[in-house]
Amino acid sequence: MFEPATEAKLADHCTLCVHRRGILTGQAGQYNHYVWDKSIPNVELSPLCSPNFRPGPPGEQAQVLSQNMDDLLKTSGCINFEDLCICPGKLSWVLHISLVCLDYDGNIMDACVLALVAALKNTCLPAVTVDEETGDIKTDPTTHTPLSVACCPVSTSFIVFDNNILLVDPTNEEEKLATGAVTVVAEGSNLVSIYKPGGTPLRDDQIEDCIDRALERSLEAARLIDDTLCSIDR
Amino acid sequence: MASFTVVKQEEFEAQQEKGSAHVLRCLTSGLSCLTRQDGSVSLSQGDTTSIAVVYGPAEVRINKEQIDKATVEVIFRPKVGLSRPEHRKQERIMRNTLEPAIEAHLHPRSSISIIIQETEDLGSNLACCINSACLALLDAAINMNYMVAAVSVAVKENEDMVLDPSKQVEKEAKSIITYVFDSVNYQIVTIASTGSFSRVQHMEALKLAREASKSVFQFYRESVAKKLLMSE
Amino acid sequence: MAAPIGNVVIPGDIFSFTQLKSTDDAKKILLGPGLKENDLEIKVIRPGILRYRKPGVYWVDCHHKRYIPSKGESVIGIVNQKVGDIFRVDIGGSEQASLSYLSFEGATKRNRPDVKVGDIIYAKLLVANKDMEPEIVCIDSYGRSSGMGVIRNGGFLFHTSLNLARKLLNPQCILLKTLGNRFQFEITVGINGRVWVKAHSDIQTIAIVNAIVASEYKDNDQIKEMCKRISKAVSRMEVD
Repeated sequence: MFEPATEAKLADHCTLCVHRRGILTGQAGQYNHYVWDKSIPNVELSPLCSPNFRPGPPGEQAQVLSQNMDDLLKTSGCINFEDLCICPGKLSWVLHISLVCLDYDGNIMDACVLALVAALKNTCLPAVTVDEETGDIKTDPTTHTPLSVACCPVSTSFIVFDNNILLVDPTNEEEKLATGAVTVVAEGSNLVSIYKPGGTPLRDDQIEDCIDRALERSLEAARLIDDTLCSIDR
Repeated sequence: MASFTVVKQEEFEAQQEKGSAHVLRCLTSGLSCLTRQDGSVSLSQGDTTSIAVVYGPAEVRINKEQIDKATVEVIFRPKVGLSRPEHRKQERIMRNTLEPAIEAHLHPRSSISIIIQETEDLGSNLACCINSACLALLDAAINMNYMVAAVSVAVKENEDMVLDPSKQVEKEAKSIITYVFDSVNYQIVTIASTGSFSRVQHMEALKLAREASKSVFQFYRESVAKKLLMSE
Repeated sequence: MAAPIGNVVIPGDIFSFTQLKSTDDAKKILLGPGLKENDLEIKVIRPGILRYRKPGVYWVDCHHKRYIPSKGESVIGIVNQKVGDIFRVDIGGSEQASLSYLSFEGATKRNRPDVKVGDIIYAKLLVANKDMEPEIVCIDSYGRSSGMGVIRNGGFLFHTSLNLARKLLNPQCILLKTLGNRFQFEITVGINGRVWVKAHSDIQTIAIVNAIVASEYKDNDQIKEMCKRISKAVSRMEVD
């Protein structure tokens, strides 16, 4: 099966996103959201990408990132859950999303969101037929329908230095010195999330500034993703 | 040991009268509600309740020792089950919110641990947990630069704003934004949101939450005053 | 506006120097615990009651349960370990205090004091600094014990809040005097919230401990009333 993989690269930082599709058979009566609750996107920060990470179970940062990706998928509305349904109440697609960091140089959130969205846009689902009598499931690999992705959220991260200097797209070194961080996820003219986990208190105009820049950047990045996808030879 | 309960009554009455969406739910705090801890508090915002305790400045494990400041640990315990990634995220938000508020460099080579137990989540749980943690720090008289107050705002499908939403409102809402402010300049310490919203809605919610945070700070003052003036 | 002396202040409250100066005309203002100088302002960093003493001394009086060592204070500690020439003593702070075997009255290299692990020690803090390990001694600057040393012969040690320990040591508190009129007992109060009590019988000891714990939020009249009740109850029990 064709498994879409995308690589997002921000300067020295790159993240690979692979989607693996599976079919989940559910008991009659279960509704489709159930599937989504079971599949948390997984972000992997292994020693491969940076010496800061140790092998073993995912650390706090990886867990928080996975959760952020999960929240983003569920609340941004970029995927309509019903599109994944094959046979209501019985059969549904499940998307396994693994985000593997290849080279860690800070600003992992932006890279992950970029890779995630690009991979979703690049996903094709084969046609499935279900035999009513035997219950056999047949996939037809020759006909693909692309997964419909309603919107294209783009994340923009900022860090705070010395309590008043805002810096966009921080590197790993800069992140270590920062006293606070803000991540704005924008989609068109809407905000999908503003995430400022503590740190130095900021004034309203500083947050406004971040939002302005995030909105501006989201348009550029969305255009870039679309251009790249158009150039792919299917 | 005595425990000090403070109920913010006028807000309770205001809510009963108008059923207005622009007031906080009734705040109730019980300072020093437990005996063995350095600081403890049980806080309820409406029906949402949490218990927070603080130990510190206490002995620190050698691998977590920092020579220039105290190590701040935040542990969040969900009501049932083990902590999952979503709780890790909450934990991290809370730690990053509280750590800069604490004057950690006054207690080098020690640890300040904050343990927050969710007891009842009926809406605005994150806000309740952050507020209880801040009150517990005040109860333990930990040196702090400023206090923090968290307020949640829900944006409904019909664009209405609801301050301090209940579980029911949260379920129906388009998005929920939690803001945390500091007590000195009322600047923004934390923003955590779920669901999409527009820029204008963010500004409106921010204004609403900031006004509400002032009454949370007033509530902190009343709670602490009740405890301190008791022994006068 | 004058500084709110005697009122509750909480972290983040800010005063100007002129505000503080208006209460007296001291040339120099001294800031005690809980206050921090920040540019040209004074910032409160812990919740408590703002206090003032002439000339120009300000501090925040707050409720602690955890002890933070401070130089010159008398504390009660428990010997935890004996490492070479020093003892490690738990005084309730974030670190164990060290106590040299030579800092006892009359101790020499030959004549070592009789201290065992688990002993209770009443001592004074010689070094207390946020960056250093606290050190306690059982002698004053003349080399005399002046009441300090190992506390022996039974008794009962219990923990209270630091506030209560300070209250007991406050000369205005009548609790110990009132209790002393009714019972005969020995008591040692460490400023670190540890109190050691010994009376003629266990019943009396327990009664005194209960009276102390219960007195935390009582005023002098209530304390008198309570002592009366307790002594009645004790005399009834002792008859049985």
